[in-house]
Amino acid sequence: MTKTLLATVLLAATAAYAQAPAWQQGKPPAMADSKLAPLAGRNTETPAAEIPIGKLKLPKGFAVEIWATGMPGGRAMARGDSGKIYMGTRGLGRVYEVTDEGGRRTSRVVVDKLTQPAGVAMHGGSLYVFAIDKVLRFDGIEKNPDVQPVDLTDRFNLPPQQHHNWKYIAFGPDGKLYVPFGAPCNICEPPPEYAQIRRYNADGSGMEVIARGVRNTQGFTWHPKTKELWFTDHGRDWMGDKGPEDELNRITKTGLNFGYPYCHAKGVLDADFKKANACKGVTLPVTTMGPHAAAMGVIFYTGSMFPKEYRNTMFIARKGSWNRTVKFGFDVANVRPSKDGGKASVKPFMTGFLEDPKTAKFWGRPAYLLQMPDGSMLVSDEQLGAIYRVSYAKK
Amino acid sequence: MRSSCKGRWAWLTALFIAPALAQSLPERLRLCDACHGPGGVSATAGTPSLAGQPAIFLENQLVLLREGMREVPQMAAAVQGLKDAEIRLIARHYATRKPAAPRGKPDPALMKRGAALAQKRHCASCHEADYRGREQMPRLAAQREEYLEYAMNGYRSYTRKGGDTLMAAALYGASDADVKVLAYYLSRLP
Repeated sequence: MTKTLLATVLLAATAAYAQAPAWQQGKPPAMADSKLAPLAGRNTETPAAEIPIGKLKLPKGFAVEIWATGMPGGRAMARGDSGKIYMGTRGLGRVYEVTDEGGRRTSRVVVDKLTQPAGVAMHGGSLYVFAIDKVLRFDGIEKNPDVQPVDLTDRFNLPPQQHHNWKYIAFGPDGKLYVPFGAPCNICEPPPEYAQIRRYNADGSGMEVIARGVRNTQGFTWHPKTKELWFTDHGRDWMGDKGPEDELNRITKTGLNFGYPYCHAKGVLDADFKKANACKGVTLPVTTMGPHAAAMGVIFYTGSMFPKEYRNTMFIARKGSWNRTVKFGFDVANVRPSKDGGKASVKPFMTGFLEDPKTAKFWGRPAYLLQMPDGSMLVSDEQLGAIYRVSYAKK
Repeated sequence: MRSSCKGRWAWLTALFIAPALAQSLPERLRLCDACHGPGGVSATAGTPSLAGQPAIFLENQLVLLREGMREVPQMAAAVQGLKDAEIRLIARHYATRKPAAPRGKPDPALMKRGAALAQKRHCASCHEADYRGREQMPRLAAQREEYLEYAMNGYRSYTRKGGDTLMAAALYGASDADVKVLAYYLSRLP
């Protein structure tokens, strides 16, 4: 009886934000017959021979190769001191470990059966894994592959809603763990524990909410010089092909409001949630990243392999749109902030994943980026469960 | 049909487990057909038809079953040790089989109610106007009625795992009676 009651209460709690499918909330009558739906992921391995890597295009002098395969659904990457790379997934529930064996890469599953363990980070030799409802820490995993995880779930007080609450996580230059809590809907007035970015001490203590009005950030990093946090944020769905565009934001101080659900992109008012002076007090983005682009992983390039002009510029993976009749994104963009960080230019850098925007013909979806010690850049492809390596050869 | 399938569990399980990796595709498919019906058209209560399902849907579900994300005891032995490459072949096979035909004479009043419910919940938005499904979204037309009801209840109660959170939301607030009518309607569509 208690169980039934609990289930009823949980369902009722879910109800408030899940009247329509979460991604469909805000679908206007004019789009009622729209066939747009999230694009299918793949749970099976794709062999290297089936990856059309030759279709990728890069600026002159750059090259791309298939670096690792066999990690279905693999997305965010975290690199350990010994060079092992850990990758989270969503639906498949796995975290992978990829080992570079010189010339070839092998992978194994570290942990499985988790609910969307998208968040992975390395800190002090420990692997941190964030699923929607679980936090695990694997101490010394690079040396001890069989280490049993420490369950830190209770320390983080994770709220129950699942939608947009798969995580990207990272440790900042301050040694704190940054964790987003997305809006549990396409568009809604978010309950107080959602639509925000928080930071914690590594043990889960000292929680602070550092930004609000953040719909769904799936990538952030810190500027190598200013140490400011830059993050991507996905714009809402069902307001048409034009957007509102995804955002690239900068946190100059804690406590800023980034506008959701009233004020999107560079001041686009919401179609469903309206209020007077909706953009008042809202920090607008440094730049927008394109309509429904799904701007994901972001890095500042600090290596010396690429030409000098790329130094301290950003690379941003755009996984590509679903809520748009003509598809957009499916690339890695190079983003160059102005000196003061107030503006930025966006230029496609790595393209070719999307073959026909009108028929949604694509073969891969770049999701996350990682700079290697030699200055090359890894790009994860969530669609094909692969990692590609981008390098530059002087001519 | 039902009892004969159940009766096969012992030897099926034995067949599946021991030489799992040594089986050829035709042998595998014969074992699938043993419960899911010839060509993947099921005549067994509680066992879904596979014929004409989108290949990506079948692939993804087989992986989720193998990984134990979706817990279906009857499938555990069958998918144990299946390689991704085998899963893709099995999925492609059933995706290209002729789908099941609807069974029974539809009651016009119930069909009307079902159509209205499906419209209200935007089912066709993903599953297509004729409910043949696409990509990761399954064919619903002429699927077995009791299986549709079981599947929808699984989504509704968060007991079916490994998918996205969308179907739970799509069915939020649907009563038991609504789910029954939807299953009745979809199972009788050609």
